[in-house]
Amino acid sequence: MTTTPYVGTCVDCEERRETNDPNEVVRFYRRHRAVTGHDVVWEQTPSDHGTTNVDTDVPAVVASLVTNPDEGVSLGALSAVMSELGWTVGETLETVHDHRMRGALWEPQDDHVAAV
Amino acid sequence: MTRWTNGDDTRAVSPDITDETNALPANCFTDPEIWELEKETIFSRYWLYAGHGNCIPEAGDYFTRTIGDRQVIVARDEDGDVRVFYNVCAHRGSKMVDETPMTDPGNMGRIQCPYHLWTYDLDGTLRSTPKSFEEASLNADLDDDEVQGLDPDENGLLEVQTDTIGPLIFLNFADDPPLSLAEQAGKMKTRLESLPLGEYEHARRYVSEVECNWKTFAGNYSECDHCQANHQDWIKGIQLDESELEVNDYHWVLHYTHEEDIEDELRIHDEHEAQFHYFWPNFTVNMYGTADGYGTYIIDPIDEERFQLIADYYFADSDLSEAEAEFVRTSRQLQEEDFELVERQYDGLRSGALAQGQLGPNEHTLHRFHRLVQEAYEA
Repeated sequence: MTTTPYVGTCVDCEERRETNDPNEVVRFYRRHRAVTGHDVVWEQTPSDHGTTNVDTDVPAVVASLVTNPDEGVSLGALSAVMSELGWTVGETLETVHDHRMRGALWEPQDDHVAAV
Repeated sequence: MTRWTNGDDTRAVSPDITDETNALPANCFTDPEIWELEKETIFSRYWLYAGHGNCIPEAGDYFTRTIGDRQVIVARDEDGDVRVFYNVCAHRGSKMVDETPMTDPGNMGRIQCPYHLWTYDLDGTLRSTPKSFEEASLNADLDDDEVQGLDPDENGLLEVQTDTIGPLIFLNFADDPPLSLAEQAGKMKTRLESLPLGEYEHARRYVSEVECNWKTFAGNYSECDHCQANHQDWIKGIQLDESELEVNDYHWVLHYTHEEDIEDELRIHDEHEAQFHYFWPNFTVNMYGTADGYGTYIIDPIDEERFQLIADYYFADSDLSEAEAEFVRTSRQLQEEDFELVERQYDGLRSGALAQGQLGPNEHTLHRFHRLVQEAYEA
């Protein structure tokens, strides 16, 4: 247990990232995947992540997390929430991409999403 | 005299290791503007390791490599040659292929940009474009016969210079590099090419993100004054007092003599020692004295305060024996011990107290490294 609220860990090797910024775990995932092909899981997330509505309907989860649509929710915070379902960072990002390509989600700022 | 930030000024790294200003000023490790400078003065001018040729044996095999702000495709062409291209389409600059690690390479018959489907042969020549680039059906002001055709040779991908040492592939982003790979590598090229590096297969990759400047780790790798106190498991069986640190223009070698003769089968090289080759600016080849295999490190900066250590291990077979797996674990232990040391050092550097450290007489490899950094800044 660390004092930082967010910890991401590679599923294939021991590499991990502790951070106060959930999107840093997303950046870590991208860097690590680029040179290893590995995915990342959440080892630690805050106990209170701001929603009780966690299911596979990602746009609905996003809608429940967003308080200001012009800002959206960070991909890292969303991924941390989706980890309750056992989703990896890669799986969350892939699903978000699919929903964006269908027009259900948009990106009001870099690496943040909101429901359309 | 140590130079602190409470009034002491800093100076360029002295060529004389006995001078007190024989090390880089501390801000060279912490200043984001210095990192931006290094992208141009170091990572755009010298030969850099791209990857291992054994990982892309067939025509069309490829992987991507990101260095600073640049990303390239390393691919084997139809003639069996390895070529490196910017991962940038000649049409409007789109990135073409997704990140593909050397350890999980892709294969493609041709390189195609997904944006407008410009397609290139594996030698970078423009092979085809969609019909919309050959006729002007949507442009009422232009007749089809006014459309200039695209010369395949003039509209190919931007190729990056490459050269090899055995199976090790190097690239240079400069249009006119100040040195050839042979000149930069010096006798390291001859040494490594005399060894059967190509007969060994990639077996393991470990990538670690470490919270310090890349030069901090490079310095730690380049000296062993810290080994006695900090690598007690690793130094068992090594005679540190009989070891030698050999310095050359752009590479240095740490020769570690073993106390007992190890069986010849447990070495790739002839000498009864471990050899750790540092190749400027950020690549190492680790020839172990107690394992029939070798390793490489890429010390890849992320920014001024973080780097990725990409550690690859090569053995006769990618399925490791228990002894080989144990050897890799020992190597990983060594890395973790070093990570703790360099992050501790970097915490101190980042505090801003030290203006310019100083090197000891047995840190002459590190002095060479600091001099090269200094020369690159001034070039």
